[in-house]
Amino acid sequence: MNVPTAVRARAPETPRGRSTRGPFTFGAGARLSLLAVLVAAAFCACLFAGRSPSAGQVWDVLAGRGDATARHIVLRLRVPRALVALGAGASLGLAGLLLQSALRNPLAGPEVTGVTPGAVLGAVTATGLGLAGWESPTAVVVAACLGGFTGAGLLWLLAGRRRSDPEETVVYGVLVSAVLAGLTSMVLLVAPGELGSVVQWLVGSTEGRVWEHWTLLWPWALVWGAASCALAAPLTLLRCGDEQAAAAGLNVARARGAALVGAVALTAGAVSAVGALGFVGLLVPHLALAVFGADLRITLPGAALIGAVVVGGADAGAQVLSRVLVEGFGAERMTVPAGALTTCVGALLLLVVARRHTAGQM
Amino acid sequence: MTRQLAGALTLLVAVSVVALCMGTPYVAPHRLPAALSGDGLEAVILTELRLPRLVLALAAGACLGVAGLVLQEALRNPLAVPEMIGVSSGAALGVAAPLVLALSVPAAVQPLLALGGAVFGGVLTLVAAGFGRSPSAVLLTGAAVSAALQAGLLVLMVLADQLDLQLIYRYLLGSLSARTWDDVVGLGPWLLVAVPALVLCAPVLGVLRLGDDDARALGVRVHRARFGALALAIVLIAPVVAVCGPVAWVGFLAPQLARRMRPGSDALSLLPWSALCGALVVLCADQPARLALAPIETPVGAWTALLGVPAGVALMRIRRGAAPHRTAGDRAVMAGGDR
Repeated sequence: MNVPTAVRARAPETPRGRSTRGPFTFGAGARLSLLAVLVAAAFCACLFAGRSPSAGQVWDVLAGRGDATARHIVLRLRVPRALVALGAGASLGLAGLLLQSALRNPLAGPEVTGVTPGAVLGAVTATGLGLAGWESPTAVVVAACLGGFTGAGLLWLLAGRRRSDPEETVVYGVLVSAVLAGLTSMVLLVAPGELGSVVQWLVGSTEGRVWEHWTLLWPWALVWGAASCALAAPLTLLRCGDEQAAAAGLNVARARGAALVGAVALTAGAVSAVGALGFVGLLVPHLALAVFGADLRITLPGAALIGAVVVGGADAGAQVLSRVLVEGFGAERMTVPAGALTTCVGALLLLVVARRHTAGQM
Repeated sequence: MTRQLAGALTLLVAVSVVALCMGTPYVAPHRLPAALSGDGLEAVILTELRLPRLVLALAAGACLGVAGLVLQEALRNPLAVPEMIGVSSGAALGVAAPLVLALSVPAAVQPLLALGGAVFGGVLTLVAAGFGRSPSAVLLTGAAVSAALQAGLLVLMVLADQLDLQLIYRYLLGSLSARTWDDVVGLGPWLLVAVPALVLCAPVLGVLRLGDDDARALGVRVHRARFGALALAIVLIAPVVAVCGPVAWVGFLAPQLARRMRPGSDALSLLPWSALCGALVVLCADQPARLALAPIETPVGAWTALLGVPAGVALMRIRRGAAPHRTAGDRAVMAGGDR
C-alpha cells in the first residue's frame, strides 16, 4: 500500500509544525469561516426554498416591502424554522462527536445509545398522560430530556460500569433501544391519536417550528455547547486511550461522565425541538474529523457548524422536494420531512462507515 | 432431560388452556371439550378465533426460535438474531412498501415479498461483513443495515396516510389478532421445505461453530455453509413476518433458554428445544397481549420486546458469570465464545 507509507514519511514533520503554531492554524481558521459562510447559505436556502411565497416575495419582505401575509409567513414561520433547523443540527453534531470521543466508538450516536428512543418515549408518555401537549413545548422538552437521560442511564447500567469495549456498547444500545421502543408502542396504543405526529417526530421534521421553539432551543444549546467545547482538551486526550489519558494526569472517569452528560443534554434538546433526524449525530462527526482532524479544540466547533449546514441543507432540500412533488404529481398533502432526507443519505453513508470500520478490524 | 421436557410440556399445555379459556366469553376449563365439539357461539369463537391463534402462536414461535438458533450458531454469536442482522426489518419493509404505495397485492404473494426483503437485508449484512469471518463485524454491520432499513420504514410511514399508518404501525409491532386458519395453513408449504433442510444442515452448524479455519480443515465450505444457514433462517422467518409481522426478539430469547435447559449439547439436539422455547415464549407473550388492556388488543411483539430482551440479557450474563475461567468475558460473549 502506498498511501500509509507516504503518511508515515510525512508524519514526523506535521506535529512539530502544529505545535509551534498552536491549534488555530490558518488552514483551520479558513475552513471554519468557510463553514460559517456555508451555514449562512443554508439559512438563506431554507428561507427561499419554500413553495409560496416565492423567492422574489421573500426578498421583498426582507427588503422591508411585501404584503402582510408574506411578511407573516416569512418572519413568523420561515425564519424560526430555519433557525431551529440550524440550532438542532449544531446540537446533534456536537453531541455525536462528544459521544464518539467519550466512548471511543466511531459507531456511537444518539440513535444507538438509547438517547433518542428514550427522549421519544419521554415526550410521548408526557403527551399521552396529558401532562404536556404538542402546543406546550416546554413540558415536551423537559420530558424528552428526562427520557433521554433514562435511556443513557439504562445503557450505562448495562454496559458502562465495567471497562467495556465499543462493540458491546453498541449492541447493548440496540437492546436498550428495543425495550424503549416497545414501551413507546405501548403508550401509543393507549393514546393512538398521537400516532401521526409521533411518526413525524420519529423521523424528524422542521415543519411548523415557531419562535417559541427557537427561544427554548437556543439558550439550552448555547450553554451546553459552550460547556462541551470547554471539555475539548480532556476529550482529545481521551481519544488517545484511557491509559495515555490517565498517564497525562486526566481523571478519565470524570471527563467521560461530563462528556456523556453534555452529549445527552444536547441530544435531548435537539430531539425535543425537531425530532430524531436520523444519522445526523452519527455521521456529522465523521465528516468533522475528516475535515478538521483529531484536535477537538477545532473539531468540536467544526462539528457544530457542519451539523448546522447538514440539517439546514436537508431542510431546504426537503422543501424543494415537497414543491417538486406538489407540482409534478399534484400530491397536495404530501410533504417530505427533513429527517427523511438525512435518513436516506445517512443510511448509505453509515454502511460505508461500518464497512470501513469492520474491514479495519479484520 | 425428561424432567425438563415434562416441565416445558406442562407449561405449554397450561398456557394453551389459558389461551383457550380466558377472554370474552370465559369458558371454564372443564367445559372445553364440550364447547369445542358443540355448536353455537362458544364453539365458533373457540374453533375459528382462539384455536387458530393458538396454533399460529406456536408455529410462529417455533419458526422464530429455530431461525434464531441457526443464525446464532452459523455466525458464532449469541447476539446474531434476525433483528440485529437486518433480516426482520428487511422482511417488514418488503411487506409494508406495497401497502404504502397503494399497490394491491394478493395474500399469497406477501410471503414472497417478505422473503425478498429478508434476503436483501441478510445478504447485504453477510457480504458487507466479509461473510461473517469475525463475529463482531457481523453485529456492527448488521446494526448498520437494520438501522438503515428501519429508517426506510419510517420514511414510508411518514409518506403514508393516516389510516394506512395505523395499519402499518400495528403490523410492524407484530400482532396475532384476527388471524384465521388460512394464515396458519399458509405457513405449511414453507415448513415443508424448511424442516428437512434443517435436519440436513444441523451437523454442518456444529462444525461451523469451531471457527472458520477449523471448519475449512474439516472440509466445510464456510462461505457456502453460512449462506445456506442464512437462507434457511430466512425461509423460516419470512412467512412468519408476512403473517404476523416481526414478532421481535423471540429468536434472541428462545435459543438462550434452550441452552440454559440443555447446557453443552450440540446444534442438532438444541433445535427441537429452541423450537419448543420459541413456541412457549410467543404463546406466553400472547396472553398479556390479549388480556392485559382488554378490550384493547396490544401487539404481541411489544411484549416479547419488553420481556424478552431483559430476560435474554440476564440469561447471557448468568451464563457468563457461570464460566469464570474465561478471562475476557466481554469479548467472549461478543465473539460467541461462551460455549
